[in-house]
Amino acid sequence: MTNLGPVLTRRSFVKVGGSLVVSASLTSSFSGTQVDAAGATTLDATRLASWLELKADGSIVARSGKTETGTSYTAFCAQMIADELDVDPAKVSMIVGHTDETPDGGFSAGFLGGAANMRKVAAYTRVALLELASKQLGAPVANLSVKNGVVSGGGKSVAYTDLIKGQQLALTIPVTGKMPVADPKDPVGIANLMGLTVTGNPPMKDVTKLSAVGQSHERPSLRDLVQGKPSYSGDVKVPGMLHARMVRPASLGATLVSAGKLDAAKFPTAEVVVKKNLVAVVSPNEWEAVSASRQVAAATKWTDWAGLPGSANMTKALRAAKWTPVGGRGDAAKADAAIAKASKTVSATYEQPYSRHAPIGPYVATAEVKADGTVTVWSQTSQSQGARAHLAHILSVPVEKVVIRWAQGSGQYGRTTYGGDGAMADAVILSQMLGKPVRVQWTVSEDLAWSSASPAWVADAKVGLDEQGNMVGFKSDWYAPHQNDARMIGAVLAGMPTLDPKTKPLFPALSTVWPYDKVPAANENAFQTEGVASESANGGLRGNIMRTPGQRQQNFALEGIINEAAAAAKADPIDFRVKHTSDKRLIEVLRSTAAEAGWKNRPSPSPEARKTGTTPVRGRGVGVVIRSGAQWVGIAEVEVIPATGVVKVVAFTTGVDVGKVMNPRHLRSNIEGGTVMGLGEALFEEVTFDQSKVTSTDWTKYRIPTMGDVPQVKAVFSSFDDRGINGGGEAANTVSANAVAAAFFDATGVHPRRIPLTPAYVKSILNA
Amino acid sequence: MPSYTLTVNGKSHTVNAAADTPLIYVLRNDLNLMGTRLGCGMSQCGACAVLADGKEIRSCTTTVSRLAGKKIHTIEGLPGLWAARKGKAETPDTLHPVQQAWIDEQVPQCGYCQSGMIIAAVDLLEHNPEPSVEQIRSAFTNTPPSAHLCRCGTYTGIVAAVQRASKAIAG
Repeated sequence: MTNLGPVLTRRSFVKVGGSLVVSASLTSSFSGTQVDAAGATTLDATRLASWLELKADGSIVARSGKTETGTSYTAFCAQMIADELDVDPAKVSMIVGHTDETPDGGFSAGFLGGAANMRKVAAYTRVALLELASKQLGAPVANLSVKNGVVSGGGKSVAYTDLIKGQQLALTIPVTGKMPVADPKDPVGIANLMGLTVTGNPPMKDVTKLSAVGQSHERPSLRDLVQGKPSYSGDVKVPGMLHARMVRPASLGATLVSAGKLDAAKFPTAEVVVKKNLVAVVSPNEWEAVSASRQVAAATKWTDWAGLPGSANMTKALRAAKWTPVGGRGDAAKADAAIAKASKTVSATYEQPYSRHAPIGPYVATAEVKADGTVTVWSQTSQSQGARAHLAHILSVPVEKVVIRWAQGSGQYGRTTYGGDGAMADAVILSQMLGKPVRVQWTVSEDLAWSSASPAWVADAKVGLDEQGNMVGFKSDWYAPHQNDARMIGAVLAGMPTLDPKTKPLFPALSTVWPYDKVPAANENAFQTEGVASESANGGLRGNIMRTPGQRQQNFALEGIINEAAAAAKADPIDFRVKHTSDKRLIEVLRSTAAEAGWKNRPSPSPEARKTGTTPVRGRGVGVVIRSGAQWVGIAEVEVIPATGVVKVVAFTTGVDVGKVMNPRHLRSNIEGGTVMGLGEALFEEVTFDQSKVTSTDWTKYRIPTMGDVPQVKAVFSSFDDRGINGGGEAANTVSANAVAAAFFDATGVHPRRIPLTPAYVKSILNA
Repeated sequence: MPSYTLTVNGKSHTVNAAADTPLIYVLRNDLNLMGTRLGCGMSQCGACAVLADGKEIRSCTTTVSRLAGKKIHTIEGLPGLWAARKGKAETPDTLHPVQQAWIDEQVPQCGYCQSGMIIAAVDLLEHNPEPSVEQIRSAFTNTPPSAHLCRCGTYTGIVAAVQRASKAIAG
């Protein structure tokens, strides 16, 4: 469907209480103490009613399957809708994520696609409203204008609300795509994770005419959050609900020998529940469930297992793995030949550990599996329809039987994007067994050990330079376990049907856009392997995507070798990048960020660089990435104390060109927050494990940045009307670690080739 | 189970709970005050912070048996605390200046840690009404029992909001 002709299929008006459109059972989005009965479980996405509702009071309710992850998707949707309909964005509220109240599915990362659906629906609605107004005002559509929901033309005007008073407009929304379904052929095991896309080309505002977009519009849930109102998936209370705490195996591959016996005198209302290797303790009293689970855990026996390589040996284990090529670009022979002829070559191997999403609030889910087979799950997943299909697969029930009720959760940074991981399986299995609603709250230690994780990487990179210090050839090979394992551990442990993740990239294996197009010969190759210990009883270390997946890891190595090449060419690291790219936007961001950071033009290392001593030595470094149409630059200033190996980031400036800035406050927040996460990856974050289990299981062992660990981040950006609207929510973490590593080299003259830059690693390379 | 009388947000409540029950479970499950969020359960993150006699405590490890006679304030009680300080009646629109500053600066991303951050800010400003940036950063990092952690990395926004609230309180 490419034009508007077939969209307005009929204009039938019926009395429906003052709304343009009405759909069934739309009474609430989320309330901590009220639970609505689920009505029909799937909306018809071709009906406008499923997307947008114009209320008699002029407010607008919009529905999206994509949810609020903290990057302010809900604010941006309201702004987009407001602009297409010419209403105040404060009039727009959002219902998001409930599978029975939203039409489209899809995931919440990269919200540009989700907002594109909402924008088109609003644009179609505007066309329909203007046709109605044209008749009522006796003026052609072309002569109409709209301001604050009032249409004017021919010397008269009419408000949207009067236009549709007591009537319903049957408007067909053209969509393409399918809803998620379990599919063994899919790399994750669930097909159609993108959900539905609104098609056609309704007239939409030119970017220069957007006025709500561009404001720092407040996210609708903000006020509730700061008042502590029930807002999160863990706040739901279902009548008759039991609280559960899980008793996990002693190791990642252990099986149950015997579940511990409950001390019934001490815990009179608790109960132990066992299904294969899934062990839980439930109680109507949450603290009793906690205390009893500790007693039972201490008395539960598991088999021995020791099938992990140990985190200290991870790179060696990766080197020994069996690799599957999953993509490449550029001509290998040409790159090899160019590097062979170069006057100087630089090569290095870069290593990154397993890291974790590590939310402050561990996974929580509540489920009610009723005798009639209906399943309701309260969750913070960022892929509600995928999770619905996944849970239907686990329980072997039709998808229509399952409803996900969504509420916000503690930030998860991609780990539920594929409709998996988390406590939902634990909750549905326990609820089905007990015939009661069950709320499963993981502990932080459990979350840091048993959730999926971002896999370790190894990369080999090589650059050839000519006599003038120009890069003439580039070659790299990237190796990592796949990131497609979204299985829910509860289903794995209980022996229920699960997914079959495979080594095949969902997004291009070489996700990082190659910025250095002036290098005449470049070749990159990506390889994947199975998850570490995936053959074990409990699935081993389940690799999953995490904020800026793939790009972040690739970019650490890519920008690492570029920095090494710049040093070998004795060139200023920014000038060196500028010399090898024709991307004018990237060059602009490099220059503006450098100016803001007070960058002094010179090669690295610094003239004052040293690798000994007990006093701090300073350095600065840069990293870039192009991602989702946006150019990012990070500039770090660090202090290193060589004797102790302590690295402190004393200043950080992050610049980006996203084209049109949708919401300056939220862009700033996403830049600052992404940078902080990237600094954690640079300095602290590493999932450690011995041969049987994860050992980084609290915040002293899996360290994330505190306020004092990171500087006040400086964000640099401008808005441009001629460059589209591009992704600004996610990728700031991708320029942090490489800028810090470059600054470390500037300070010490030693190239770091592994993150995190822990004191032990720093001392080892400075003393080498 | 023993019974305890707790004063929460200016009201007295009698609850039945095991003596070792951490306050957070009573707040959320018995008193239906859901604004206090469960994080680590080990006093390592600050998500569950509340005020006891005006000082921040971690409700995930402070047991109800230790709180008799103390005046507890949760995030839901901050408007009342502010109204009392100004000698005014609390209305549904009343917000503590720290909460208002959090709105004005649009601090939260996922928001899960922010109840604890706001409690820590109220405690800080009560004892140091005009903190410098470095004092704010130190308070959120070095005050026992642990730093307040934000995984979304909203620290720059938090500093701005505390400064804004400081000015608002000084009026």
